[in-house]
Amino acid sequence: MLKIPRLLAALAAMLLFAVAGCGSDDDDSGGGNAEKATQAQAKGDVTWCIGKDTTGAFSTVVDNFNKANPNAKVKLLELPEDAVEQRRLQIQRLRAKSTECDVLGMDVIWTAEYAAQGWLKDVSDYISQNGGDFIKSTVDTTEFEGKNWNVPFNSNAGFIYYRTDQVDSAPKSWEDLYKQAQQGDGVVYQGFRYEGLTVNFLELLYSAGGSIVSDDGKEATADSQEVKDVLKFMADGIKNGAAPKAVTTYKEEESRRAFESGNATFMRNWPYAYALGKDSKIADTFDIATFPGFAGNEGAGVLGGYNLGISAYSKNPEGSLAFIEFATKPDQQKIMATEASLPPTVSATYDDPAVKKALPFAAELKSAIEQAKPRPVSPVYPQISEAVYNNVYDALQGNTSPDSAASKMNDQIQKALETF
Amino acid sequence: MEAATARVGRFRRRKEKGYGSEERRLAALLLSPALIVIALVAAYPIGYAVWLSLTEYSVRVPGKWRFAGFDNYTQAFGSTEFWDAVKNTFIFTGLSVSIELVLGLGMALAMHAAFKGRGLLRTVVLVPWAVLTVVSAITWRTLFEPNLGLAPTILDKIGIGGNVVWLGQSGYAMAVMVLADVWKTAPFMALLLLAGLQVIPDDVYDAAKVDGATTWQRFRRITLPLLVPAILVALIFRTLDALRIFDLPFVLTGGTNGTSTLSLIAQQELTTNNLIGYGSALAVLTFVIVMGVSFLYIRTVGGNIRSLAED
Repeated sequence: MLKIPRLLAALAAMLLFAVAGCGSDDDDSGGGNAEKATQAQAKGDVTWCIGKDTTGAFSTVVDNFNKANPNAKVKLLELPEDAVEQRRLQIQRLRAKSTECDVLGMDVIWTAEYAAQGWLKDVSDYISQNGGDFIKSTVDTTEFEGKNWNVPFNSNAGFIYYRTDQVDSAPKSWEDLYKQAQQGDGVVYQGFRYEGLTVNFLELLYSAGGSIVSDDGKEATADSQEVKDVLKFMADGIKNGAAPKAVTTYKEEESRRAFESGNATFMRNWPYAYALGKDSKIADTFDIATFPGFAGNEGAGVLGGYNLGISAYSKNPEGSLAFIEFATKPDQQKIMATEASLPPTVSATYDDPAVKKALPFAAELKSAIEQAKPRPVSPVYPQISEAVYNNVYDALQGNTSPDSAASKMNDQIQKALETF
Repeated sequence: MEAATARVGRFRRRKEKGYGSEERRLAALLLSPALIVIALVAAYPIGYAVWLSLTEYSVRVPGKWRFAGFDNYTQAFGSTEFWDAVKNTFIFTGLSVSIELVLGLGMALAMHAAFKGRGLLRTVVLVPWAVLTVVSAITWRTLFEPNLGLAPTILDKIGIGGNVVWLGQSGYAMAVMVLADVWKTAPFMALLLLAGLQVIPDDVYDAAKVDGATTWQRFRRITLPLLVPAILVALIFRTLDALRIFDLPFVLTGGTNGTSTLSLIAQQELTTNNLIGYGSALAVLTFVIVMGVSFLYIRTVGGNIRSLAED
């Protein structure tokens, strides 16, 4: 019985010794003055839990940080590629109050849920000082109940990809797009029953001026004419062949493959498909454009991307914040953009020549992100989204009429909101 | 036959009386380590799931917990989600297991025949079964990808389902799921049946041949009856497996278009929706259904095997 405390004491002594030993030589770090102020304090171990580092860009950022901060050590813990699995694994750890993850790479739609559960440290002070560097719309995704819970890391917004050998220019409205698609080889998008369908639906709905939840996040507003119109528009699109029936099985990759194999005139997809498309057999015959309008309204996208939050159970919140600050500075954001094609959240990064070269559509991307709207901010967002994609899917399959899909969607959203 | 069972029963009772109470105690003592391990590994999680299913415990709302009685079960019984899953699960099980049985029997008979390279064939046939279900499911999904997949292209050429989105339409999606399962587990069925075939003595066949029985008669009168125990064991294994099917719908369709199964909806409620209480109730219901079916099987199999042994 006595052995355990003694062992602990010995460990603590070793730790103290190690920290003291390291603390003496921290004068050799480079960097600007502003950065130095906080980074000089960066100490201890930080574990960064984020989706799979498919391009190696995350590791580069970690290495850069560790080089600049000899007293701190950031470790990358890779979660699966799929966002649903990432959330599942993070929540498992958070529910168990695990101290394993310090910095959480979070999809922008998880902010409200995590914050409401008390799983995140409040970073309002940091955002109030540095928020101006970021694109405004990305900062909005960090907010819940008047406070900021994470820092924008990368952003995302959808685009219309079109075949330049089939149409002269990108259509000005969704109606035109569907009409041209019907005459051509069709439009492909993410119509499978999952989060991506919610995004695809909301892009049309936001362009039509509709919403699914009231601004205060308390009431469902999906039983509206706009929702019915958009549902009917999408369902008719499949019925009359503007979109192939197969879109109901498509996620991002399936749509990309269909478009790149020359089977579609239009595609809705994220920017990642651009670089890949330039390696495909249609490399010289496609271009991209921001979203068209709908029913006479301006087009609007839906904001994607990842934020970095600090786990409430982190043993090293200071070191975590220092790392987040480092990772969201323009030079690191540039690495993310050039190596991983991840759209930056810091406005200045878009003007960098290297970024412009890696993302030839950087200007369009920036304005798409500026104009994009967030998905509803709610602690029960996953359930809201489920209500959306289930009913949109049923309408697309022709199992329910657009009208009844809209009212069912509304009821289910309302029910989800009331459980909180 | 009834007389026979009664005889067995009497015999057993007489024997039990013969045990001394001390011997019984020793038996209990010797069994206890195994029983404790079973309790820890099996009984505790099941009991905990049953307990969770009686509570309203959602990780959505911090600190919210209440005893809910049978609310979760009433919710399940009142939802179309649950009944659809029950229906799909049984359709899938019925279709896949019966096709597997027929194919498996054919394969077993073929493998039983003496020919060169039999050992190699028996090994090769098991390959699909050795492939992870998730991996084979991803392969099947790719095969059936609209426009680009091999299967729709070939089927289109020969004039079947030209305009069908296989994984995106009710009925067709189930057909692909059954196909994927049959491909994977028919060999397993075949191997179980082959083991049954090998214990049938050759003399019986020789005697039948001498008596002038045709091949069909030998199959119908000798092989099938003597194979019944093996068939039933194989059926139990496959049915219980099929009732718990998760990976195929998860990968192939995500439960869309009439392919959601009991295990799939329980998993979705538990992990994606974080409804621990409701999800546990669905898991317990799955457990009860599987238990019920295996109970039925064991009763019939038990009876059958005993009656066969009596004959």
